[in-house]
Amino acid sequence: MSTKTPEKTARSGAPIVLQIFRGDADSAGGEQRFEVPAVEGMVVLDAVHYVQANFANDLACRWNCKAAKCGSCSAEINGRPRLMCKTRVDEFGDREIHVGPMRTFPLIKDLVTDVSWNYEVNKQIPGFTPAANEPVPYKMLPEDTERVYEYRKCIECFLCQDVCHVLRNHDDKSAYYGPRYMVRIAALEMHPLDTRKRTGLLHGQAGIGMCNITKCCQEVCPEHIKITDNAIIPLKERTATDVHDPVARIARKLNPFSGAAATTDLVAARDGQASAPQRFAVKDVVRLKARGRRFARVASVLPDGKLEVWVLHMNGSVQHWDGPKIVRTSDVTNNYGPLDEVGIGGKLVEQYITEDHAAEQHG
Amino acid sequence: MNQSYETLTTDVLVIGAGGAGMRAAIESAAAGAQVAVVSKSLLGKAHTVMAEGGIAAALGNLDPEDNWQVHFQDTMRGGQMINNWRMAELHARESPDRVYELETYGAILDRTPDGLVMQRPFGAHTYRRLCHVGDRTGLEMIRSLQDRIVQLGVEVHMEVTLTRLLKDGDRVVGAFGYNRVDGRFVAFRSKAVIMATGGWGRLYKVTSNSWEGTGDGVGMGFDAGAEVLDPEMVQFHPTGMVWPSGVRGLLVTEAVRGEGGYLTNREGKRFMLEVDPKKKELSSRDVVARAIYKEVQAGRGTEHGGAYLDVRHLGAEKIKKKLPSMYEQFLRLADVDITRQPMEIAPTIHYAMGGLRVEPETGATTLPGLYAAGEAAAGLHGANRLGGNSLSDLLVFGRRAGAAAGAYVREVQLGNVDERQVTEEQRILLLPLSADGTENTYLLQQQLQQAMQDGAGLAREEKSLKTCLDRILELRQRSARIHVPGSRKYNPGWHTARDLRFMLTIAEAIVRAAIERRESRGAHWRLDYLEKDPALGRVNFIAYNDGGQVKLKTRPVPEMPPELAKLFAETPSSSPSPPPAASPPKPQQVRT
Repeated sequence: MSTKTPEKTARSGAPIVLQIFRGDADSAGGEQRFEVPAVEGMVVLDAVHYVQANFANDLACRWNCKAAKCGSCSAEINGRPRLMCKTRVDEFGDREIHVGPMRTFPLIKDLVTDVSWNYEVNKQIPGFTPAANEPVPYKMLPEDTERVYEYRKCIECFLCQDVCHVLRNHDDKSAYYGPRYMVRIAALEMHPLDTRKRTGLLHGQAGIGMCNITKCCQEVCPEHIKITDNAIIPLKERTATDVHDPVARIARKLNPFSGAAATTDLVAARDGQASAPQRFAVKDVVRLKARGRRFARVASVLPDGKLEVWVLHMNGSVQHWDGPKIVRTSDVTNNYGPLDEVGIGGKLVEQYITEDHAAEQHG
Repeated sequence: MNQSYETLTTDVLVIGAGGAGMRAAIESAAAGAQVAVVSKSLLGKAHTVMAEGGIAAALGNLDPEDNWQVHFQDTMRGGQMINNWRMAELHARESPDRVYELETYGAILDRTPDGLVMQRPFGAHTYRRLCHVGDRTGLEMIRSLQDRIVQLGVEVHMEVTLTRLLKDGDRVVGAFGYNRVDGRFVAFRSKAVIMATGGWGRLYKVTSNSWEGTGDGVGMGFDAGAEVLDPEMVQFHPTGMVWPSGVRGLLVTEAVRGEGGYLTNREGKRFMLEVDPKKKELSSRDVVARAIYKEVQAGRGTEHGGAYLDVRHLGAEKIKKKLPSMYEQFLRLADVDITRQPMEIAPTIHYAMGGLRVEPETGATTLPGLYAAGEAAAGLHGANRLGGNSLSDLLVFGRRAGAAAGAYVREVQLGNVDERQVTEEQRILLLPLSADGTENTYLLQQQLQQAMQDGAGLAREEKSLKTCLDRILELRQRSARIHVPGSRKYNPGWHTARDLRFMLTIAEAIVRAAIERRESRGAHWRLDYLEKDPALGRVNFIAYNDGGQVKLKTRPVPEMPPELAKLFAETPSSSPSPPPAASPPKPQQVRT
């Protein structure tokens, strides 16, 4: 809460003009104008608190940490979904600051909306399910966990849900879980020790097909999670594979990155080799549909467009991987058959190449 | 003439949905009890989410010499030996399992190259001990516990505030309060109540705490007759933001120092080298906070009255990987790029070591049917908490309280709700809406925060404490004349009015105990009594409710059994500061 005393704040510069939405579900509501003394480094939440303490004691807003860690103070500020605690008032210059509630959710009062639908959606997602015999303490290699951290950064501010046009414009909350829960499902699906399959859910109830990749959600994410690029698109691929290509699904069950036990086997299988243990970053994995009994896996797409490939041999139940080999894409397709046609084919390889390039150049 | 209210029934009522409350709920549910969790906020927003540095647990993944005995000693020494030794022992023994267990709920902590849980150094921990995820460990913990609760189907009541424990005779049999959204009154009838409501950082003006830290759970316990232990022990975190003023108090995680950040004064001098040559910036929090305060007092502070915290030498890449939210926080809120500029920091109120007095094994308070865990409980941390010991505290004692309450409810029946208690609480709650008073609840709260900051802050003395007490008592009188406009529908002013009563109670307990503790120990620093008093080192202060008055008594610090006491034989507990990190106890000394 604001701890500044009026005497102190009154000294610093021209007042800030706030237009705050006031009203509840039973009334039409509208903006109310307030002038707040400017304080150095003030954020919108401070200004709202000042109004609350001095002019409108019953002004309803949610907040907790005031440090952009809890995701409580979501609002629409000059039309854009943002956290009030992270939005400086000085970025608006002399302009009035309009603060309103998130419009995708039913209004309770003033800046507070009923976000309970999100919590209900969350209950429908099967939680983390490790193998029953997974030894504790868990062993997970950093390379296998790295990918998941991005999803786990989510602070559940629901700004992505607010901006998602499927949820917002069509008001069709029964067709799509929304970006937040794509991120949550991605975190579970990519957890190195999770054994559960949620692609049926994604294809059905969760409605991943409703997302047409406008990327609005990742633009408003205060945690800078690349929701569309790194959660929704990979889940769309995975869903397509599982729903339309059961063989590839079985292949993924053999994946080295789906469990520490498998990783250990692989490391053991490669004993005697001095190179680092074989690992695949999930993001770069491109499956190749192989002829016969061999599977190939692209470990990473190199900046020059070549592929780093490992080839799987099955010897009874023992997996053995050869690699990595640096090959041209055409070499792979010539030797191991066409690239997997269900969304992980040439087109997406190109996309990954482009994005990796961009990332490296900016990184 | 009661207003109508809804009555809900459950076996175990958990008040608070932070780390301790959720861990307790998981355990009570596992014991077969029906559990209801009540949260003032939305689920997953509790103050635990702000914890940054990590979970202290002697896994020994990086330093194989580490073990529970060393962790135990660090905790006791950090607490200046007025901790409850048994809590410190249980905590040190059990925290490794609780960390591993958290990963079975889906948490993924940072890892070593070999795939084990990574650990980082932290203030006054002898070895690298803090299990973490970058600087968002609390988020990882709360989300994992939240997911587990959802998976178990535990009933959660979001945005409900409970303000009074209901008693049947001596026994606690439920609680009464209101729904924040529509203001409806609600009563929970339960066989047991677990208080997991956190601390009271909002009592101070400069604080790292969220709005929820108003001491309401402990206040409720106090009102009902439970004992409040060590109220005077309030921790200043050495590093809070100081500028811009809008963000003053916001936490700068100790992980900044854990990862190698150091402190300098305005003259560029690294003053911790003199204050604690061995542990330097990673000395215990009370020591570092006082050192910064002294630099400022001596005129060597920064422009905004603090010290510089510098991480530039770590390099931009490491800073962004290991301290991403600090990088973002300074860039966004202070226009400071910490890869290029030093941070400006000053002490900020962070944690209440005090709380409800509990039995170490069970979290049972002095009232039958009432349990407490986490920051709302006291004893583990003594006079000063070590960084990272809070998150492990939540898990260890959350689980214990949940298990004990789960067992207790099998033995008892629901109690009776006494309508007079409900009527009385409704009267208190409704007063600010109906009374034609003139006092503004927010401004009174601000004045209380200012009074506590001025009089019962980092540096205390008899005069300032007594002035502070007078101001509290005056504010208490004025609080009877609070008027809040509007209805009961999502009205934060109305909510604040009730919170303020708890805050005033706790503030009075803090100040009364701080006056009586005529010595300096841990976080309690008396300018008029700079030394430790061995006699006071043998007692804890307890605040209790005597017919509506805050009264104090002392209780002997529980005596350690010989096999644990001998761990401290080499370095006497009366040493002025904890022993240096560079000389860890030899393994043969610590194995009993």
